[in-house]
Amino acid sequence: MKNFGREITRRDFLKSAAAGAALSFAWKPVFSNAQEEYDLVVISGDPVAATRKALEVMGGISRFVKKGQRVVLKPNMSFARPPESGCNTHPQVVTTVAQACLEAGAQQIMVMDYTLGRPELCLERSGIRQACKSIKNVHVIGIEEKKFFREIRVPQGKVLDRVEVLKEVLDSQVLISLPVTKSHSATGVSMGIKGLMGLIWNRTSFHDKYNINQALADLATVIKPQLTILDASRALVSGGPGGPGEVQKPNLIIAGVDPVAVDSYGVTVAPWYGQNFKGRQVEHLLVAHQRGLGKIDLDQLRIFKGKA
Amino acid sequence: MRTFVQTFSLLLFTTFFSLATYKLPDWLPADIYLRLDPLLGLSAILAGKEIIGRALWSLIIVGTTLTIGRFFCGYVCPMGAVIDLSHYLLWRRKKNSPLKSEANFRKIKFFLLFIFLIAALAGVSLSYFMDPLPLLTRFYTFILYPLVITLINLFLDLMRPIFHALGWISLSHQHYSQPVYYLAIVTFLIFAGIVTLSRLTIRFWCRYLCPLGALLSFISPLGLWKRRVSQECNECLKCQKACPMGAVEENPKRIHLAECIQCRTCAEVCPKGAITFPTSFSLAKASEHQTSAKGGEYSTVDFSRRGFLYSAAGGLTLAFLADRTPFTPLKGKYQLIRPPGALPETDFLQTCIRCGECMKSCLTNTLQPCLWESGLTGLWTPKMDLRFAPCEQNCNVCGKVCPTQALRSLSLEEKTNAKVGTAVLRKEMCLVWAQDKLCLICDEICPYNAIVFRTVEGYRRPFVIASRCNGCGFCEQKCPIQGDSAIIVVPSGEIRLKEGSYLKEAQKLQLEFKPDPGDDKFILEESGFKVEGEQKGKENLSPAEKTQPKKPKGFLLIP
Repeated sequence: MKNFGREITRRDFLKSAAAGAALSFAWKPVFSNAQEEYDLVVISGDPVAATRKALEVMGGISRFVKKGQRVVLKPNMSFARPPESGCNTHPQVVTTVAQACLEAGAQQIMVMDYTLGRPELCLERSGIRQACKSIKNVHVIGIEEKKFFREIRVPQGKVLDRVEVLKEVLDSQVLISLPVTKSHSATGVSMGIKGLMGLIWNRTSFHDKYNINQALADLATVIKPQLTILDASRALVSGGPGGPGEVQKPNLIIAGVDPVAVDSYGVTVAPWYGQNFKGRQVEHLLVAHQRGLGKIDLDQLRIFKGKA
Repeated sequence: MRTFVQTFSLLLFTTFFSLATYKLPDWLPADIYLRLDPLLGLSAILAGKEIIGRALWSLIIVGTTLTIGRFFCGYVCPMGAVIDLSHYLLWRRKKNSPLKSEANFRKIKFFLLFIFLIAALAGVSLSYFMDPLPLLTRFYTFILYPLVITLINLFLDLMRPIFHALGWISLSHQHYSQPVYYLAIVTFLIFAGIVTLSRLTIRFWCRYLCPLGALLSFISPLGLWKRRVSQECNECLKCQKACPMGAVEENPKRIHLAECIQCRTCAEVCPKGAITFPTSFSLAKASEHQTSAKGGEYSTVDFSRRGFLYSAAGGLTLAFLADRTPFTPLKGKYQLIRPPGALPETDFLQTCIRCGECMKSCLTNTLQPCLWESGLTGLWTPKMDLRFAPCEQNCNVCGKVCPTQALRSLSLEEKTNAKVGTAVLRKEMCLVWAQDKLCLICDEICPYNAIVFRTVEGYRRPFVIASRCNGCGFCEQKCPIQGDSAIIVVPSGEIRLKEGSYLKEAQKLQLEFKPDPGDDKFILEESGFKVEGEQKGKENLSPAEKTQPKKPKGFLLIP
């Protein structure tokens, strides 16, 4: 029950955050890009500039991060492989978002992932720890122990009743998802929604116990990042999630509040295994969409496309 | 002064030990203490009949012992420091009474030394069993290191709320992986036994048993500083009682020179100040002055020819017994995966000194001590327990810290090519082959794309491409079935080179361990994917698309 209580608080917070965001937009019609709120912002260019521009068009990071808040950034840094392998989020995307959060007055920023490989190796080889080293109040943390997770209920779960979520995610005010665009041998692609599995303890059950697509949708009902910034600077279009595989360079940053919409756009940025797909063709995205967790059809989205 | 040097040396040993981990810089010799040990070097060289570069470091100890005397035992040896420390903590109030038949006990270590050296000559390395440095390193690796990690984690767990409240985010998430080792209790019992022996008499181990001490005492009488007792001596025997090595003879003016570890305790306790340690070059001169200090008294006189013959016979017998077992002809035929860069098995067994440093340094904890898997001669040698943990492709520490280079120190590229075995699928156990389940973990985890899926009987099923597998064991470890893995690494195809490049050897054998895209396109040819229970998906499928076979897993066949 206690857990359930926390869940409510969290959802309340999400609502108020959304309301706050809406209000801030209503109050500031001066920004040209705020006149129309976009579902998705797609910026091409180098990771730093494109990420900055994307945040700007989204209405600034201050829409999501308030002074004194604790922020969890969830990049994919699950593999002990360098940035060019395409397995992990680009370090510069992480640092750019972290900087922006600090500028908005965030108190502490935790860059966290329950890594698949040894945490120290993943943090080192992904380049993310090194990149964040010089930024104060940014902590890059790889997790591999159950004690850092806390069980919560999944009220709307179809296959999941309970799930153990990283405590820091439950206790901090803001969660920003920073996935990378890559293929996945079990779920087609692994982006924002699949990346949520890096925040829970018992993920093997997703593979051997549950229908992974249903379980992912269940997970998306309880872990809701306020913002998803998809790093499509590189796309690992085969051999994912761990590679080695073919790496393409769409050079895009895709930002949005709707995690399904962001992932759905991500599906279209590159051909997977030599074939073009749409968001609807990725089963876990389709399930999430059908469960009302986000929009999947790009033609129904207001998309800002720009260059940095 | 001596306590200070001893403490410093023990701390230094501990520091080097703790540095032996991923990512050890190339220039840092974390195994320096083991390299300096002349007995280890000598027996590895005798057993392998080949000069080992790193073992030549021990000439430093040989040289200094020749000039100073047997100072190593009193000042440098970390085991000596531990024994002194534990004696101080546990039994310092106990009266220090020498054993009866002291002289006979003293000989034991020489017997042991010769047994080990003769056995080494016969090709069986045994000195690891009692050499203090590998003994202590093993104790550190199997007992102390895991214990310290447990305590640190316990402390971190206790402090976590406080760190959290203070906003020390990284510290509040700090956790160290717990290393574990097979049968650590054996090592513990041996170590506890050595420490407990000090209860009988101080430094029991060093006086009577230590083969390294025995080796050093052969050359130490040549050292420059020798004890001299002046005419002031009133024969109060205080020095005799205080000597930690029992080196002062019944006539306190005489000393067993070979046993003297230059600790100068006798000079400190002498109420008359009659004891000095002047330098003296010649042994003859020393005996003139002291009438007693015959150089190498025990080594040359007391340790008789008969004693030598006995121990030679003992060494040969031991070597014979240890080596003439089915394990010897079976070398390489049993399921035993050695670490990458291990010398060919015979050389490996002769050269490895079982210090456990590689197991300590191993990033993933896959390196574990052998017990009886390869017979007595393989005791405590490192093996890879790949069901427990894989070999990390970015790590090459085990070879770097090997003091005798039984595991060769290799660059990452060379190490990648030092194939330790080949993964073999056991189809009768595999979920996909035996039960038609959708499992692909081995393929997903393989860092070299050595596992591919091909359609067999309408189902995509895993295959191992042996030429791409270097035996790292990720597949074996991750295989989700209970009990033994359905994909295991067998020694077949391992590359064990005494010298030369593994990369070249692998190329010669047309092996390629490259993290390249591989033939992932095979996935497109699979046809067996079903959209299980997804009605929405199904109703959107047009008949034409339903028959379209090309679709990677996780994607649906809808427009």
